[in-house]
Amino acid sequence: MLHALAVPEAFAGTVAMLLLLVQLSLFRSVVLPELIRIYAVQSLFVAAICFAVGVTEHAWDLILLAVLTFVFKAVLLPLYMQSLIRNISSRVELPARVNVMLSLLIAAVLIGVAVLTAVQLPLHRGAFLPQADLATALSIMFVGFLVAILRPNALAQVIAFLTLENGLFFGTVTLAPGLPLVIGVLLLIDVLVAVVVFAVLVRALVEEHAAASIHVFERLQG
Amino acid sequence: VSVPAFAIVAIPLALVFLTLVVPSSIGRLLTAAGGLASAGCILTLVVRSAGGGVTIDPVSALFLIPVAIVYGTVGLYTTWYVRVEPIGSRSDERYRREFLALTNAFACAETIVPLLTNLAGLWVALEATTLVAALLVRLQGTDAALEAAWKYILIASCGLAIGLIGVVILYATGTEIFGPHYNPSYTTYVAAAARLDHDGVRLAFLLVLIGFGTKMGLAPMHTWLPDAHGAGPTPTSAMLSGVLLSDALYVIVRVASIANAALGTGLTRHLFFVVGLLSLFVGAFFLLQQRDIKRMLAYSSIEHMGIVACGLAFGVRLAVAGALLHVVNHAASKSLAFLGAGRLASRYDTRDITRIRGGVAALPVSGTLFALAGLALAGMPPFGPFRSELMILAGGFSGAWIIAAVVLGLLLVAFAGIVRSTTHVTAGDGPEHVRRGERDAGAILATALGFVAVLGLGLTVPPALATLLERASDIFMGRTS
Repeated sequence: MLHALAVPEAFAGTVAMLLLLVQLSLFRSVVLPELIRIYAVQSLFVAAICFAVGVTEHAWDLILLAVLTFVFKAVLLPLYMQSLIRNISSRVELPARVNVMLSLLIAAVLIGVAVLTAVQLPLHRGAFLPQADLATALSIMFVGFLVAILRPNALAQVIAFLTLENGLFFGTVTLAPGLPLVIGVLLLIDVLVAVVVFAVLVRALVEEHAAASIHVFERLQG
Repeated sequence: VSVPAFAIVAIPLALVFLTLVVPSSIGRLLTAAGGLASAGCILTLVVRSAGGGVTIDPVSALFLIPVAIVYGTVGLYTTWYVRVEPIGSRSDERYRREFLALTNAFACAETIVPLLTNLAGLWVALEATTLVAALLVRLQGTDAALEAAWKYILIASCGLAIGLIGVVILYATGTEIFGPHYNPSYTTYVAAAARLDHDGVRLAFLLVLIGFGTKMGLAPMHTWLPDAHGAGPTPTSAMLSGVLLSDALYVIVRVASIANAALGTGLTRHLFFVVGLLSLFVGAFFLLQQRDIKRMLAYSSIEHMGIVACGLAFGVRLAVAGALLHVVNHAASKSLAFLGAGRLASRYDTRDITRIRGGVAALPVSGTLFALAGLALAGMPPFGPFRSELMILAGGFSGAWIIAAVVLGLLLVAFAGIVRSTTHVTAGDGPEHVRRGERDAGAILATALGFVAVLGLGLTVPPALATLLERASDIFMGRTS
């Protein structure tokens, strides 16, 4: 039986789709500042969803978390990363192992797997995305992994991890809004750590005047 | 909360701040004292738990034992280590204080993990161990250390992200029964195991095994492990291998117990077989071709985690108890081996196995104990790992005997690899220029204590430990009383 979607529900559904589209656009960009902007936009959407869930569930901790997410992940950290790479971004190449078309095809297969996995689970749904919350979260994470695999560049991989973490955050908030706030806060700390890693890598890059390709990281093998 | 349970967290936590402000010459003594005091409190807690006296459950008590052994010996070892090491680019006072503070922070985080049964809290605690461990690995400031730390933090964080999705799915599965807000604790789930949705539990366990298995060093998610163990300071390698791997296993065991109670042991057995055999295979064969002594030990850790996973997979009580005992034995022997290897690497100024000869002649105590730790890791009697591996194989041959035979074959490969390397570095006369004899009391005492644990656990299983093993295996197999 069809039922009218509540406004926050429809809003969340739209935003979830946007999230996934933004994630897919990671394949297209060839310059680092663009990747960071994509991450900032995605974080904005995630913060919006967290806010919407908080309002519907009357959960003040989620609203607080949404504000924190917005301030850090959508504004401060992207700005900081942009300032870090201002001088070196022209030197950083972002090669891809396969072309955009093939990347998107692989991504489509992964999203298919995510959706098929998600519909197998008759989970009790919250107010949000009753059919698509898990599927979206898994898709974003899968695509995040794919980006990390297909981009042999340490800085791009950090950003891939950051977007992957957005997917995780989205899944946590929509699937288990009752989980303690500490998880959300810790995910933020995780992001901070990833950004510190990013900063360390950039500094190493400035010092060595080398490309931040993971090829410089190939001594430790076997 | 009882006094010892409070003390084992409070002691290392207090030392984190103390070691930052006092000179490292005092800080190292404080760390040694703290490690021993904490070990004493943990063992008290474990014995009391076996007698039913305290509220921590048998699985928690069992996974605390590695902390006691490793923190106790590593604390003593640091009294020598911070004086002479590192070989890397930094050796100033600030480095030493940071190292001591981080080591205590690492011990603190590693102690908290087995004390928790709340799955969300467990994820948080494991994440904390990742951050501290990455800082420790990074500490020496060399290129290899930076690369290892970067690889570790990225792979471990991705692993933990997958693990958290598993926890979230389990939570969402539970909302059908408990409503939207509840405490996602192990006991909550087990009490309602029969009513949990089967598909949800299946997917949750799979994700938890992949995610936390990454941190446990199970193949094929093990790629960070040899780098981090090789590049980090030696005491850190001992703590990574001895305790951190078992902490990750602790989370997997908790979720596996829920899955076993809800679905029967079929699913977890199959998945443990896959990752267990793969890890054994990777560990055993890569061991053979390692030239770096610490990386060799790291691959041995992967192999031993594979043995543990296989033991859990056999699904027979004897094998499961053996696997849980093997966690303790591996912690004792592997940390001893790392401490000995660190002494050798420092004396010969290299980690290259082919360039170290005559370790026993150069270091009469730690060289000899390193050789014995190697034999213990290879599974020779009368040491601890022999006993637990025998239990696992005996359990295995009573059921899935073909797999047990494969496990035995891989154990022989690993045996050859470890024995060849350890005899090469310890036997013979060694080069002329290397100084002979050792006088560093802290390091000698640390290795001697570690050896007492390795040998003691082989000669006898104390009654308290036997009780815990019995109860913990029942809990793992989903038979709650």
